[in-house]
Amino acid sequence: MRNMDKGILTNSDMKKKKYKILYAAIFIVMLVYCLISVLPVVWIMLSGFKDVKEMYAVPATFLPKKIDLSKLARVWSELKFYKYYGNTFIMAIGCVVFNIVVSGLAGYVLSRLKPKGTKVLLAMIFWIMLIPGTMSTVPLYMEFKSMPIIGVNLLETYWPVWLMSAANAFNIILFKNSFDGISNSLVEAAWIDGASNIIIFFKIVIPLSMPVFIVVATFTFNGSIGNFFWPYLTISAKEKMVLGVQLYKMKSSTYTIDYQMLALLFSVIPQVVIFAIFQRQIMGGVNIGGVKG
Amino acid sequence: MKGYEVEEFVGLANYKQVISDTMFVKTLWNTVQYVIWSLALGFVFPIIVAVALNELVHSRSTFRFCTYFPAVLPGMAVSLLWYLMYYPDQGGLLNMIGSWFGLEPYSWLQDSKNTIMLIVVSMTWTGCGSTAIYYFASLQGVSRELYEAAIIDGAGFLKRFFTVTLPHISGIALLFLVRQIIGVFSVMEQPMQMTDGGPNGASNTLGLMAYKYGFVSIKPQLAMAVGVIMFLILMVFTLFYFYLDKKIEQD
Repeated sequence: MRNMDKGILTNSDMKKKKYKILYAAIFIVMLVYCLISVLPVVWIMLSGFKDVKEMYAVPATFLPKKIDLSKLARVWSELKFYKYYGNTFIMAIGCVVFNIVVSGLAGYVLSRLKPKGTKVLLAMIFWIMLIPGTMSTVPLYMEFKSMPIIGVNLLETYWPVWLMSAANAFNIILFKNSFDGISNSLVEAAWIDGASNIIIFFKIVIPLSMPVFIVVATFTFNGSIGNFFWPYLTISAKEKMVLGVQLYKMKSSTYTIDYQMLALLFSVIPQVVIFAIFQRQIMGGVNIGGVKG
Repeated sequence: MKGYEVEEFVGLANYKQVISDTMFVKTLWNTVQYVIWSLALGFVFPIIVAVALNELVHSRSTFRFCTYFPAVLPGMAVSLLWYLMYYPDQGGLLNMIGSWFGLEPYSWLQDSKNTIMLIVVSMTWTGCGSTAIYYFASLQGVSRELYEAAIIDGAGFLKRFFTVTLPHISGIALLFLVRQIIGVFSVMEQPMQMTDGGPNGASNTLGLMAYKYGFVSIKPQLAMAVGVIMFLILMVFTLFYFYLDKKIEQD
């Protein structure tokens, strides 16, 4: 028996029979829950290999008769998924860059430089978080259609998604709070050595807040890959289509169900791989983000 | 683009037009039903999962991985996944399982009585994991001394849960409750992706209605009116959320 240091049940409880049964019951419930979490994706994975005729065979089987990897390759090139992968990555990486640079610098300004009116700015950022997306959709669209002042049309580019990612109130607050925790003496020492604000930001603030940067970057990247609504609204050209939008288009097209399943499979692979690699950061980010998430 | 420029001031005419639309009341009620179902299915469930996750010492990391797994999938993929699971013939997972027990294929999403509930099931499936991980993080911070004191008092599992564990997480539970209400009230993508508001408007929401006003029938003035109505309703909850947030931070 390993040490039960965090739960309600303790090591001494586990000597009693009724708690052993309870523990086993909890274990089984979690097992079922995990099956429900993972099974649908496994089903998609397996069903994609069936052809349509096999899906409607009586009796229906869970496992496909044979796993034909060449079908995977065929659907991949037939649906030109490499193109959507490329587009989606360009969009997502842009989102990460814009988010880190703009939110990071904004957090730095609000936390360290504190120009006049910081309090008003902070209050405004808080209030921006309150505006529901539905209310700002039309005004934002009008802005992207003809950007104020410069008058450029940003539709059919990734700029709308990038700009919206840059203006992330929650991340600005997150960065500000994390920069607030950096000791003043370090910054002052660099200041005396003649370092400028920008150098302090890159040489001191960023290295000391690396965990937050990694968490924000992984969260933003993961979230941006799944972007659907704004790319759908602003980009209609097939050359710039991203994964989410393409899946939506496929759902209402004449593609057979097995093609849709394989396309679905392709579209979840990047995120599952990222999750497997960055599992620690993503789960740990829950603690950094705090209760407010 | 036509309709996107201000031409004349019309006072409250747009609001009148939106509210007198025969679909408005039905859609508002639909949206409330989304919130009710999502609270019924998705509020207590993550707490149970988190507590179970916290109790188990065997294969803990596997359980954590599986719990969080649905949360990392892109939204459209989740919608398509459940759309395919609910497929009205044997090609769908649920009807396939049904066919093993000799059941006739059931038209899941097309049955307007259950459409909202079924969409909420898919939302809960993908949302539960991340909420549970938050609760789990909070449960890790429960002080051992409180449990030990409860054990000395002879408290059993349930008593310990209700006197020690539940008070510890009640703060963030309240926050999640309000967040969930706010989030689900503005739901738009899931019904748009799974049913497009159908069948016959049965799963339409205010958010989707606003989108359709704005970009399908090109009446952006009505879209913004719906947006403002939603904003006013949500404002009440949001202010409440901030009040709670501040109160919990002070404790």
